[in-house]
Amino acid sequence: MKNKKFTLLIIGVVAVTGFWISWVSYNPSDEKAMATFVSVNELMNNNINKRIKLGGLVKDGSIVISETNQLECNFILKEGSSELYVKYGRTRPDLFKDGAEVIVAGQYNNGVFYADELQTKCASRYEGDLRNESSYNLTEVQQ
Amino acid sequence: MTPVAGGVALSLAFGFGLLTVFTLLIYTKNQDQRLFLVGQRLALGVSFFIFLATFILSYQLIISNFDVDYVARYTSIETPFIYKISALWAGQSGSLLFWLFILSIFSTITILQNQYKHHELMPWVIISLTVTQIFFLILTNYVTNPFKPTEADFIVANGNGLNPLLQNITMAIHPPTLYLGYVGFSVPFAFAFSALVNRDTSPLWIQSIRRWTLVAWLFLSMGIILGGWWAYQELGWGGYWAWDPVENASFMPWLTATAFLHSIIIQEKKDMLRLWNMVLIILTFTLCIFGTFLTRSGVMSSVHSFTESSLGPIFLSFVFFIMIASFGLMYSRLDDLKSPKKIESFTSRESGFLFNNMIFVVLCFAVLWGTLFPVISEAIRGTKITVGAPFFNQINTPIGLILLGLTGIGPLLAWRRTGSKNLIRKFTLPIIIFFISIVSFLLIGYKGYVVISFSLCVFVTTAIISEFYLGIRVRKNKFKESLHSALINMISKNRSRYGGYIVHLGIVFMFVGFTGHAFDREKEFSLQVGQVEHLAGYEFELVNLSESERPNHYAWISKLRVTDHQGQFVTNLYPEKRVYFHNNPDINRRQPHSELDIYSELNKDIYSIFSSIDNQKQIAFLKIMINPLVRWVWIGGYILVFGTLIALWPRKEE
Repeated sequence: MKNKKFTLLIIGVVAVTGFWISWVSYNPSDEKAMATFVSVNELMNNNINKRIKLGGLVKDGSIVISETNQLECNFILKEGSSELYVKYGRTRPDLFKDGAEVIVAGQYNNGVFYADELQTKCASRYEGDLRNESSYNLTEVQQ
Repeated sequence: MTPVAGGVALSLAFGFGLLTVFTLLIYTKNQDQRLFLVGQRLALGVSFFIFLATFILSYQLIISNFDVDYVARYTSIETPFIYKISALWAGQSGSLLFWLFILSIFSTITILQNQYKHHELMPWVIISLTVTQIFFLILTNYVTNPFKPTEADFIVANGNGLNPLLQNITMAIHPPTLYLGYVGFSVPFAFAFSALVNRDTSPLWIQSIRRWTLVAWLFLSMGIILGGWWAYQELGWGGYWAWDPVENASFMPWLTATAFLHSIIIQEKKDMLRLWNMVLIILTFTLCIFGTFLTRSGVMSSVHSFTESSLGPIFLSFVFFIMIASFGLMYSRLDDLKSPKKIESFTSRESGFLFNNMIFVVLCFAVLWGTLFPVISEAIRGTKITVGAPFFNQINTPIGLILLGLTGIGPLLAWRRTGSKNLIRKFTLPIIIFFISIVSFLLIGYKGYVVISFSLCVFVTTAIISEFYLGIRVRKNKFKESLHSALINMISKNRSRYGGYIVHLGIVFMFVGFTGHAFDREKEFSLQVGQVEHLAGYEFELVNLSESERPNHYAWISKLRVTDHQGQFVTNLYPEKRVYFHNNPDINRRQPHSELDIYSELNKDIYSIFSSIDNQKQIAFLKIMINPLVRWVWIGGYILVFGTLIALWPRKEE
């Protein structure tokens, strides 16, 4: 048995998997496989209609829970001075409330953002400064 | 006073560490035995001071000394005793100290175990271990000191308390188990590094670290499984694996370590793949440190990440340092790493191992790619992208299934070359059964990967059973033993081989469980008392809603009566909605938490989450999931641990 054959085999395996990985990276079959993170401003200005993710704060007093279906709610997401009207119809996380920092994923259509995922930030209580409860890191998300 | 002693102990450990490395470096130049002894004892001293610091911090946690910032941050007076202890690894600085603590246990064991063995290798083994300790000592001394006093101009009456999510017994043991695995690989790495320095190419050091590697691998596996179990029971999204960056961080070294465990068998038996084994152990150790980096740096958003991010650059530098030092050294030793023998045939066990190794590494790369994709994409294209579980599932499912298939094929191949007669004899039955299962699963109505996965599981199980059967038959004929004693003797004569097969069986069980995921069903709804809802043939009735005040939380409990499609009673589920710190006058400091309830059978779990309650109208918001075959994953975990223990069990003559 020549070592050459094994070298070819190794190259073959690497090539096939390399192709497979890059192929899936460019054409993931599930739309939830990847989502682009944008800011509310970018969304408003560009009117993106593919699936995206956004982060921001829940505007105080903006949460409205539907009378007919308690699962459905809408609220206003604030990012700086920009505001976005969000509709969400699934189970809300424990920490979802006024002023909570949230990340939503979904589609934007005619001024309404239809979210199918809603995540809240981990409670700052456990990591932040002892006196300043709002000191938390932007990259931390509670799933 | 005492917390200061903790800080002093850490400083002393750091000083001793530098002295150890210095002394041993001189020893390697002048070979003065006295220096070796001094170095050894200094190294034990490093570990001693780390033990001391760890005990002091644990004591501060137990007595709730809130003058220590760490204690005030992660515990409160009400925190139950066991979670005061587990708070040791709940936060950034404490968990780094805990990392050091485990490394020091391993380092001490290694030094004591090898006092009269491996005299040539030990100096560099100790240097490698101590350098790793020094790195973590720099972090705990200068970057994030666990003994930092509370920065408050007032007296802290009570601490923050431990996150309720972490108040779970699995969560108390998952991190230590995982750490034992992560840290455990520093010992085989240290031996490999030392062997490189000493140009020691004999398979001797491989034998001496095989057991270490297996121990570390066992803990890493258990840590990963426990993490999944905790997520499943506590996080309430109904799954056990989310391809979260930190999960991936533990999975990547597991993959390379598994590859290493397989390929060292070839080096032990055939003295082949020297270079490749070096690469694997270096990669495994680097990935362990890299995994710790991913957890600490805040580069990735993850449930696991700690907030502070000042550690990132330091960690990354250490990762690069290890890689440059090890691979650089390896490059200079390339001549010594050339194996004298070559693989003879495609149909040999060697080639099976080689193929399995490639797939493990490829899988590891795929996971790494997906984990770093957001970072790469942001750096190159400037857009922030998040990669979700479906991406990993799509890429990794076929690769995983190839591995599963190899689990069945590999052990049936003979060393050097499998003759065609042997090939037919060994493969006929498993392959026939494989095709029968494909047809049967297709007839049942399953499709795609599900059919392939289930059929491969049947194939591998057949292969394993037939290996056991053949081995037993040989013994029965040769030694006239009974079935029972033939089985026992066969396993005890060849523990690593049959232990390995049992581990393979555990993996098959897990794959059955993973495949069950394809049949998951879920539904979210709201119910008033007396109303019913249906899912997958089951009926869920909200019987009542009750309330209960407990020491550290307030709970609303919903009683769900579950009946099957024939109206037969199945079980009552009691998912709870809790609010922790409910007595806190500041509403924002109260923390809601959904405590779920699971009814588990061999073929499915019924998983219930009480997500919120409308008090005025007495409406419960619930989420129900039917998760088929999840139990198989946990059973597979037990089998895996059992098999590894058999492989690890010492022989009598040792």
